[in-house]
Amino acid sequence: MQRNGSLLGSSFRFLTGALLITWLVLPLIPLAIWSFAKGWFYPSLLPKMWSLKAWKYAFSDTSGVLDSLWLTIGISLAATFLSVLVGVPAGRALGMYQFKGKSAVELLILAPMIVPGIAVVLGIHSVFISMGLTNSVPGVILVHLIPTIPYMVLVMAGIFANYDPAFESQARSLGASAPKTFWYVTLPAIMPGIIVGGLFAFLVSWSQYILTLLIGGGRVVTLPLLLFNFATSGRNDITGAIGMIYILPGIIILILTAKHLSGRSGAVGGFGQI
Amino acid sequence: MNKTLKWAFLASSLSLAPLAVSADTADGESLIGKSWEDITAMARGGEVNWFLWGGSDNINQYVSEYIGGILKEDYDIKLNRVGLSDTVEAVNIVLGEKESGVMDKGSVDMIWINGENFRTMKQGGLAYCGYTDTLPNNKLVNWDNPAIANDFGVPVDGCEVPWSKAQFAFAYDTARTETPPRSIGELIDWAKANPGKFTYPAPPDFNGSVFVRHVFYHAAGGVDNLLGDFDQAKFDEVAEKTWAILNDLEPSLWREGKTYPTSIAAMEQLYANSEVDLTFNYEPAGVGLNIENGVFPPTTQGYGLTDGTIGNTNYTIIPFNSPNKAAALVLQNVLLSGEAQLQKALPDVWGTKAAIEVSRTSDDIQAKFAAIKTHPNVAPAAELAKAALPELQASWISAIEKGWIENVGN
Repeated sequence: MQRNGSLLGSSFRFLTGALLITWLVLPLIPLAIWSFAKGWFYPSLLPKMWSLKAWKYAFSDTSGVLDSLWLTIGISLAATFLSVLVGVPAGRALGMYQFKGKSAVELLILAPMIVPGIAVVLGIHSVFISMGLTNSVPGVILVHLIPTIPYMVLVMAGIFANYDPAFESQARSLGASAPKTFWYVTLPAIMPGIIVGGLFAFLVSWSQYILTLLIGGGRVVTLPLLLFNFATSGRNDITGAIGMIYILPGIIILILTAKHLSGRSGAVGGFGQI
Repeated sequence: MNKTLKWAFLASSLSLAPLAVSADTADGESLIGKSWEDITAMARGGEVNWFLWGGSDNINQYVSEYIGGILKEDYDIKLNRVGLSDTVEAVNIVLGEKESGVMDKGSVDMIWINGENFRTMKQGGLAYCGYTDTLPNNKLVNWDNPAIANDFGVPVDGCEVPWSKAQFAFAYDTARTETPPRSIGELIDWAKANPGKFTYPAPPDFNGSVFVRHVFYHAAGGVDNLLGDFDQAKFDEVAEKTWAILNDLEPSLWREGKTYPTSIAAMEQLYANSEVDLTFNYEPAGVGLNIENGVFPPTTQGYGLTDGTIGNTNYTIIPFNSPNKAAALVLQNVLLSGEAQLQKALPDVWGTKAAIEVSRTSDDIQAKFAAIKTHPNVAPAAELAKAALPELQASWISAIEKGWIENVGN
């Protein structure tokens, strides 16, 4: 009976896993085929003519895809790093302490996830202009924090809600300094949350379009800007090629952090706490 | 640990920040009437940020490689091409800057523009005006031609410089359709006889809107009565007939007209995948590029209508707060040159029609223009030119778009 149950369980897990992979990978296959196609029309199952033109364009100086790839990686990493810096203390405060006006703070932090960006982007633009932050990479990194920080804070609040600060007191009573306590006790305990929250923050920053365009003033050309040019104009071949490059960092990071994303991770389990 | 990382981040972000521009030529008034040598000298070593629709690799290559190459080699100017998905994005940047009081350090030096966006720029005081005579190649532009001097009925008044001309054309697949409809009247009958095989993008899409205007002209029995200022009585009379025609047509459209494509790109995909049998575009040369790029089947053929199709001119504009006006002027002058207009007209480069008066260029350039073999599948320019219709004033256009949304698209 017991054995039967676990067999059922594991085959169920295998099935859902296979389904999930199909669901994630299947849409990418036409994208990959399109990037090598010269014309692909219904009802042909495969393109009649193949071409490397789209990839040649994607790697040319004119398209600027490679420069833009490095720039986008830099911006997203910086935005992720800053989100962690802000999100960890904020998550600790929200997850562990009760204080006056806590729900108001929670609402304010969640606001960028609720209010559609397009509604506030022109207002943000004028604020950034008056602060002299437009047309520069630091300005773009800063504006990306608006949508990334809520994810980070939310995940960290969940982590800290399940966190027992008695471990810290124990370390301190054994003579560890505050930085040592943080490094050896707190950080390992909250690491899964930092990874999951950081992954969210990276991917959210990675996909920003309108905020980057307005605050960057066209000087800061990230990959989504190049991608949407072709996606909206119906050039499936070039969209496919840039799209394949575009999803690469996300996949790499996903693979590197996959073990922290399983259902057994405290980071995911603690999500419901806030 | 955190501190080092933070400093590393700051250092790396600083190194990514754009370098400051050396020569500031934001004061446009002082440039007007200056000698061309002075202006090119002021522009030398600087940069120019040109915002334009970026959805075509052919156009991107022409701009970045050909035009950018000339600017670099002959004038030592760095051309920064900023690709847009929609021109209104650039207009919004300039608008936002004006509202925030950025009067001379704008981020946009030039925009590829026409129609509604030009009207916004001109009426909002967002354009740098009155400089066109300063450009040496302005003499190649025929400003006496009302189709050049007016951008969708709005007088240009020296606030922009023409770049290309375009004329609406249809296209069909010779492998699927034997005889396509060659007038708006025939098209309506054809669509009813072939249910589900025709549709048009919902206005205010640029191309959908111009298709509806063709029906509007058809309902009015010609365009002559519609030219000039907006006339509510005339509009009401023609609009009623137009909505009746389009509502009557709706059940015969793709998906019984319950939904319309939202963009021309979406309709072109429907056409490419045989869902609909006709497509159209304000840029007739697009058929050639689309075949070469595999977007359209190679059996696609462009054509004009016997009762005429609407033509327009598109322009480049310099925003009032551009800090690199001298470089933008040099760029506009290069774009207007016979050589650059010729290159743009070559079918494997772009194939779009010159906005300059070719007869005013050198004999050599004229001979090369005459020798251009247009893409065989593109509607011949001469055939289109025989039946060219003017655009209406912008007030008519917005009334028609609004009326369509209320009466047909609801």
